[in-house]
Amino acid sequence: MTKKRQILFSVIRGLLAILIALLVATLLIFLSADGGSFGAKLSATGDALKQLLVGPLFRMGRSGAAFDFKRLTDILASMIPIIFTGLSVCVMFSANQFNLGAEGGIMLGAFTTGMVAVYVPMAAFLHPVVGVLVGGLAVAAIMLLPALLKTKLDVSEMVCSLMLNYIIMYLIKYLMNTYLADKTKGQIQSYEFLETSKIAPLIDNGSKLSWGFVVAIACVVLIGLFMFNTRWGYTIRMIGINQAFAKYSGMKVATVIVLSQVLGGFLAGIGGGIEMLGRYPTFSWSSLPGYGWTGITIAILAGNNPWFVPFASFFMAYLTKGCELMATYANVPSQLIDIIQGVIFLFFAAEQFLSKYRQKLVVKTAQEELATKAALEAQKGGAEHA
Amino acid sequence: MLNFLKMLLTPEFFFSIIRISAPILFATLAAIVVEKAGFCNIGLEGLMMFSALTGSLVSYYAHSWVWGLLAALAIGVLMSLMMGFFAFQLKTDITLVGIAINMMGSGGTLFLCKVITNLTEGTSMASSTGLINSNLLIPNINIPLIDKIPFLGSIISGHNLLTWVAFLCCALTSVMLYKTSLGLNIRAVGENPNAASSVGVSVLKIKYIAIGFSGLMCGFGGAFMSMYYAAGWSLDMVAGRGFIALAAQAMGGGECLGGMLSSLVFGFAQALGIKFSAVGLDSNLASPIPYAVTIIGLVIFSLVRRSRAKKLHSAAALK
Repeated sequence: MTKKRQILFSVIRGLLAILIALLVATLLIFLSADGGSFGAKLSATGDALKQLLVGPLFRMGRSGAAFDFKRLTDILASMIPIIFTGLSVCVMFSANQFNLGAEGGIMLGAFTTGMVAVYVPMAAFLHPVVGVLVGGLAVAAIMLLPALLKTKLDVSEMVCSLMLNYIIMYLIKYLMNTYLADKTKGQIQSYEFLETSKIAPLIDNGSKLSWGFVVAIACVVLIGLFMFNTRWGYTIRMIGINQAFAKYSGMKVATVIVLSQVLGGFLAGIGGGIEMLGRYPTFSWSSLPGYGWTGITIAILAGNNPWFVPFASFFMAYLTKGCELMATYANVPSQLIDIIQGVIFLFFAAEQFLSKYRQKLVVKTAQEELATKAALEAQKGGAEHA
Repeated sequence: MLNFLKMLLTPEFFFSIIRISAPILFATLAAIVVEKAGFCNIGLEGLMMFSALTGSLVSYYAHSWVWGLLAALAIGVLMSLMMGFFAFQLKTDITLVGIAINMMGSGGTLFLCKVITNLTEGTSMASSTGLINSNLLIPNINIPLIDKIPFLGSIISGHNLLTWVAFLCCALTSVMLYKTSLGLNIRAVGENPNAASSVGVSVLKIKYIAIGFSGLMCGFGGAFMSMYYAAGWSLDMVAGRGFIALAAQAMGGGECLGGMLSSLVFGFAQALGIKFSAVGLDSNLASPIPYAVTIIGLVIFSLVRRSRAKKLHSAAALK
């Protein structure tokens, strides 16, 4: 198949997967819509869909939709943590390591960074940098556990990392409840972060779009270069494609498997830290935030390619915002996002989805090639005769 | 310490181990059978969530636990066959299918619960606990005679119907795997699909049966959770049991008996955690115990397997 057709095919396939997910969503919205009659339900569904698809960027008023800059910055702000978890999952999945610890990782990173921000006074510029790095290193260290168990003892990194998520969550809750909570407050939260630790907003309109966004994009570039332009990145990808080949061609498979998970943990950790210092005044998470799972969806949408992560993150942030708006204005529970996410995920990852169409394209390309060859031959032959 | 031990060695404690092990055992059996068929279903968690929700809602609307249980089983099988369709027909990586199911099983079930019941306790939380009364729970079964035995009687008798079913299923699954042609086919497909296919076994069909079986077991597990154990559905109520089951399968060496013993180990860890929090340990410190035990268990299992392999190796070398 020509390159152009290949790209065309992936685009069509992706769009169709999203379309199917939206159709499922529409059906579910229709079932949950208010209204007694079929017509009333239909119009309620229409309103809800408008919120989902157009709402994230445009404010719906009587005079029609108007572009809302604040909402755009909201979306960009909510991209920050999921870019990091997306990158984290990309790196780990590229090495065929199904480590699902990004979820616990981002919580641990947020917690560790938060504690540095509360208890370790430092100079203004240094504070967030050190805090976030400490958060990242803490998660990187934790990820050594599933990674080393995998390489040394062949323990499933998937089960191990899943268990770690729960352990991390409960231990953080324990530490918060017993030692670290600000007892003067009604809910469980830490003391306020020191002023020096906060990550400054990029645009001051209450959207929480902080400089963390710039760091996130910088990380995309770094990880993109790392994966495609360094020896280590090449090894990671080669292990993912064919581990036995990588081993027999002399690559340090075990080391790189550990590296990929530690790096993935580090990314999740700094993601949590940046999210914490850029958005919140205190640490108050009491359960896993769900960014790790969104990160997996993003990695699948991006085909494990770090360069596509920002786009996939934008898409997911957009949909999430749409679902939140639907919950507010159209009374559709916002957890619809999980179903949409699941359906997109299933079709995107489906290799044989539209395989007949791909087959047709391949055949068509081959026939065209043969035809041009034949035409050329005929020309040549004609020239010889003459 | 002595007091604490005394507290542990009560019939109630052993009773609770068996009770807590049952849903893990169901999920472990699911994991065992698909593993025998040559793949790994990590969507057990999500399947159990869907079954749990369906079971509690149907029993509420149909005013009968029987219908609730049947619906939970049906939805478990249907969803697992759907997983099979994506994994076998559309060639999605089975791990990813599992992740997708888990994703939907977490937030998606909350969405469905809110939509179906119109319950909105607060903005994010909703549960069907308020809908379930004791008549809608799956009943307990007292066995005459056995419950008269001192100590042992009060451990074994009085269990829930589904607890019995769990241990019965364990025995039946073992028989199914090793004494029937279906079991032989499942194991053959797992060992070498090409060989199985060459003697006329439909690999696809066997794989569908295996994953459907895992859905059935998850249906039981989910019904156990929402129609007995927690008396109602709530968000993320399965709490990693589907994942623990994957570890139990590995630790049990992929066999039913071993899987049952590992489920009991996890049941013990969890019951111990509950006891710890009863004597004043912070529940947040007690809750991670089963998860930590899972990791430790996997490590021990792997060490044992390794040393056994080494012994075999050196024995072979000496010959």
